[in-house]
Amino acid sequence: MKFKTFLQRTAIAFSLMLAASGVLAAPLSYQLRVDGLACPFCAYGIEKKLNAIEGVERVETNIKDGAVIVIMQDGFTLDEATARKAVKEAGFSLRKLEPAQSVPNAGPR
Amino acid sequence: MTLTSVLKFGRNIVVILAILAVAGWLAFVPSAVEPPYMFVAAWGEKGSAPGQFNDPTGIAVAGDEVFVSDSRNGRIQVFDRDGRFKRQFGTPGRGLGQLGRPMNLAIRAGELYVAEYFNDRIQVFGLDGRARRVFGKSGSGRGEFNAPGGVAVAPDGDLLVADFYNQRIQQLGSDGRFVRQWGTTGKIGIRAGEFNYPTDVAVGAEGSLYVADGYNDRIQEFGADGAFLRKWGGPFAMNLFGPFNGWFATVTGIATDSAGNVFAADFYNNRVQKYSASGKFLVGFGARGSGPGQFDHAIAVAVSGDGTVFAADFGNNRIEKWRPAER
Repeated sequence: MKFKTFLQRTAIAFSLMLAASGVLAAPLSYQLRVDGLACPFCAYGIEKKLNAIEGVERVETNIKDGAVIVIMQDGFTLDEATARKAVKEAGFSLRKLEPAQSVPNAGPR
Repeated sequence: MTLTSVLKFGRNIVVILAILAVAGWLAFVPSAVEPPYMFVAAWGEKGSAPGQFNDPTGIAVAGDEVFVSDSRNGRIQVFDRDGRFKRQFGTPGRGLGQLGRPMNLAIRAGELYVAEYFNDRIQVFGLDGRARRVFGKSGSGRGEFNAPGGVAVAPDGDLLVADFYNQRIQQLGSDGRFVRQWGTTGKIGIRAGEFNYPTDVAVGAEGSLYVADGYNDRIQEFGADGAFLRKWGGPFAMNLFGPFNGWFATVTGIATDSAGNVFAADFYNNRVQKYSASGKFLVGFGARGSGPGQFDHAIAVAVSGDGTVFAADFGNNRIEKWRPAER
């Protein structure tokens, strides 16, 4: 085995190990269910409050079905108490917080 | 009690309820006194290319140009009165010339005033799109904002700002100094002079201040001296919402025309309502849908000098143009 090939195979194996351990896994994302989320004044208010939380990569709101998706930066999680406080400050009540399926990185909005 | 007596009692109750319903309708549901406006045209669709929108949330007219807050795209788009794209300015961000969720707009003396919901400031542009200056910063103190939703400019150049999350209207001098405020900072209220998430403001011909008191489902008017004058929107303007003439279901935008009439974007009722300067219901137009003359939530309104009305159709990502009916 040539030295270059050995290095390549080693790098691939190391990457697979990291992926298996979750280090290279997709960033965590959460789905928040919020009652009464129906106008942009509300949706933007919630986005603004959630975006101010440390570790939040971006927030996506779907006004029509009242859903909010929070995508975290690598290594960060979102606890329910923090989410509840942010939603309350925006004038709403958090009905439910649950992990969402990973969302592809779409860049800043 | 005999069966006949029971039937008579029931009949009387039905009659009384019917009389009350008719009286309530006559008292609290005014009839239109002007012919309905005519739908002329609509332009726009969802997207980020020129002429497309991702949440249009504000609108203003100056001469033959229509300015639109294209909120999620972080820009202002400019069209001619027939919807032909002319230019755009702004990118998402916090720097000078950048925009953080632009909302309701105002134009005065060749300058565009933009309420920035995310950046907690009012940014002023030349109509050519060059950023000129900024008012305010984040906070709840004097001259600070917490998600401003709309702005108007008084004849003397003072700014009036709907400070949404601070539950107040602020007046600032043209140099940015605090002049006064209406409402109690951070406190929602239903009484006269109190607000429930105010979304926009407009100034009337006589210097009156009109406030879109968003989630109180009403409009409040204050005199040029700042004194409360009146409020309207549903029975007693006490946060009773509904689809009837003269009622609202969240007022998200307000504008006045050259005659002093007041136009309100009635968000959940998918229409625009027109009132006299003193709050008399004149006419409403628009219905729910995505066809001609329909809205998927009317969020903002502007009126040009000749009475043409331009309205932002939020959910359909388009602008609608209406004109008064021929008399």
